[in-house]
Amino acid sequence: MLSPYRVLDLTNERGLLCGQLLGDLGADVVQIEPPGGSRARRLGPFVDDVPHPDRSLYWWSYTRNKRSLVLDVTKPRGRELLLGLARSAHFLIESSDPGVMAAHGLGYDDLAAVNPGLIYVSITPFGQTGPRARWADADVVLLAAGGPLILTGDADRAPVRLPIPQAYLHAAADAAVGAMVAHHERARSGRGQHVDVSAQQSVALATQSYILCEAVGHNPVQRSAGGLVNGPLRIRLLFPARDGHVAITFLFGSAIGPFSRRLMEWIHDEGGCDAATRDKNWLAYGEALFDGREPIAEFERVKLVIEEFTRTKTKAELLAAALERGLLIAPVATIDEVLASPQLDARAYWQDLPHPELGRSIRYPGAFGKFAASPIEYRRRPPLTGEHSDEILRDDLGLDDAARAALRAAGVA
Amino acid sequence: MTQALADVRIVDFMWVMAGPAATRMLADYGAQIVRIESTRHIDTARTLAPFWQGVPGLERSGIFQNLNAGKRMTTLDLRTPEGRAVVLDLVRWADVVTESFAPGRMKALGLDWETLRAVNPRLVMLSSCLMGQTGPRASFAGYGNLAAAISGFSNLGGWPDRPPAGPFSAYTDYVSPRFIALAILAALEERRRTGTGQLIDLSQAECSLHFLGPALLDYVVNGRVAGRVGNRDRDAVPHGVFPALGDDRWIALAVESQDHWRVLCAAMDHPALRDDPRFATPEARRRNEEALEAVVATWTATQDAHATAERLQTHGVPAYAVQNSPELLRDPQLLARGHFHRVRHPEYGETTIEGTRFILSRTPAALPGTAPTFGADNEAVLREILGYDDERITALAASGALA
Repeated sequence: MLSPYRVLDLTNERGLLCGQLLGDLGADVVQIEPPGGSRARRLGPFVDDVPHPDRSLYWWSYTRNKRSLVLDVTKPRGRELLLGLARSAHFLIESSDPGVMAAHGLGYDDLAAVNPGLIYVSITPFGQTGPRARWADADVVLLAAGGPLILTGDADRAPVRLPIPQAYLHAAADAAVGAMVAHHERARSGRGQHVDVSAQQSVALATQSYILCEAVGHNPVQRSAGGLVNGPLRIRLLFPARDGHVAITFLFGSAIGPFSRRLMEWIHDEGGCDAATRDKNWLAYGEALFDGREPIAEFERVKLVIEEFTRTKTKAELLAAALERGLLIAPVATIDEVLASPQLDARAYWQDLPHPELGRSIRYPGAFGKFAASPIEYRRRPPLTGEHSDEILRDDLGLDDAARAALRAAGVA
Repeated sequence: MTQALADVRIVDFMWVMAGPAATRMLADYGAQIVRIESTRHIDTARTLAPFWQGVPGLERSGIFQNLNAGKRMTTLDLRTPEGRAVVLDLVRWADVVTESFAPGRMKALGLDWETLRAVNPRLVMLSSCLMGQTGPRASFAGYGNLAAAISGFSNLGGWPDRPPAGPFSAYTDYVSPRFIALAILAALEERRRTGTGQLIDLSQAECSLHFLGPALLDYVVNGRVAGRVGNRDRDAVPHGVFPALGDDRWIALAVESQDHWRVLCAAMDHPALRDDPRFATPEARRRNEEALEAVVATWTATQDAHATAERLQTHGVPAYAVQNSPELLRDPQLLARGHFHRVRHPEYGETTIEGTRFILSRTPAALPGTAPTFGADNEAVLREILGYDDERITALAASGALA
């Protein structure tokens, strides 16, 4: 879909996913790395736990469908070559702290001067502007700043993040959307622009709009093990199974209530609760709790009834019942179970990419969407450091062997 | 100035959270969106908190407002032939149809891809659901908390000695909107160049798995099954969330270098700690992480979260108060970025939604008014977009199709 377009990707671990998404959609993405390789290559885990720039599984996760060019753009000659590539490029993505690119003469204005049609995407912790634009970042810090962290974890312990960093994935995925919004406009106007993404703002989406409590006059909610505490109401979404845990959407109202009713019918069928518990008005249960007709203690008791029931079933039994009876239950899958999912298998989700230098193929998460007319293709495994330097310097910048050797000797490429 | 997506017309059957969040992104940049909803089949998001002044009500949901601002809406009962005819007219007008019902529902309504493409051969259609439109679990309907569980997120959030405790709520509903919006824009680009529309089958589970890439590859390559580790980090130490002065107050911080460690020791007014052999190097800190966390927590527990974060940040140490809604609404950075946007509301005067999450320099978002209320836009949609006359509109209303 994006095969006519070239992307210059100068991001580090903050933004790699953005270029990969454009690459998955067909763009020619040139990952530009400093000599020695991107610092994202130093992020683990590593193949066989051996740290090496070409063995980082973080790097592998977010650089598929890219080519690698080593170029020190902070040196005058490197900058000049980058500007040369930018003349015919369509997108440039970068994730340096605000002001850093401009200090090297590579800010949006500098690039727009050589290519007014260029879309220049910046992914930063807090955005290009504002009093904290230059604050230091870390995944956990951005999740704290943007709101999801306080809502995550057990009520009696510190808020907790996922062990796989998430903040910049939200930001980089937003950046890809921003790039395409600007691209759509460019098709009419011929002009590029600057897309300014703030990871703090991107992660705020994961608050499920509870970021707005104060603004709309709703009491702030508190975390409760994946669920939440809303006033006296403790919403529970995770339950034990005999061999692990399951997620259950045990909520009410006209859309979800019928599912909760069917769950209680099943529990009753198997002797797990009395008819009165089964026959509560699950569609209007939320209102009953809200106005006090139903005591909170009774809701607490019902959740224990569910817990006692699910504890006797395996995850597979609970999922089978969910499919058969129309229940909102899903197994809490471990990573190995995710890889063994019959659903993902049936949809041919996983994609094996050969890594010839390792003598094996590696199984990757597959296309993010199934496009009927122009399917996503995995054309390239993640590049080795500078793997494509020669071809790009030669074919795109017209540098002969001697000129390329000189660049390498000068530490520019 | 013309909005970036002013020429994009979308008929939007998306409901609840992920789908509407995606089309809200497009609405911010000018896409013309007509939302379809029936008073006989209301959007679940209307029943979800936060509510205006804390009181539930179908026009009072803050999340519904937030995810549907800038869209117009017509109420239609899709089960009536008249309602279905209106949909087909809207599809003739549209570039894109989006829907997030359980797989098979659009077909049951007689509104499947083949039918819609027949009335608009250039159509782009995106179907979003939990597990995808095909496969043995296609019929598995549900919400993002279920996709987060079945995709492996839920099992990773929390503490090694406890059951899973995260991520928060319907997490994948907040991962997938970007993939949905991106897929639509990519398909529109393809159509612009080739003239061909297409159907996109977007599985929330499948797109979200990209957010677990390193854990998936660690299993594929090294056979390691990731588990819960609390807030510990592969590299930074100390790293995590520490108690601060006050009720449920916390500070997040990450010590990523020896410089950071020196700053933290100085801030703790405990310079001797810097050279304490238990903590002097990252390796030593890792070996003594529990003792280290106890030392840091003892100090932070007596400190104001905001003041401490500012102090650490002054010296370049990543730190932030763990903010809940009241603090987020006053966060100087979010305010400077225009993250909160006040909009008029027909029932309660004024309310607040979030602004856009990224800024375009030349064609910025024109931030929208509030989300549509039931029936308020029916006239505008039927008359202005579809060109229906009074007689036709009256007949439609009488048929019950506009419910």
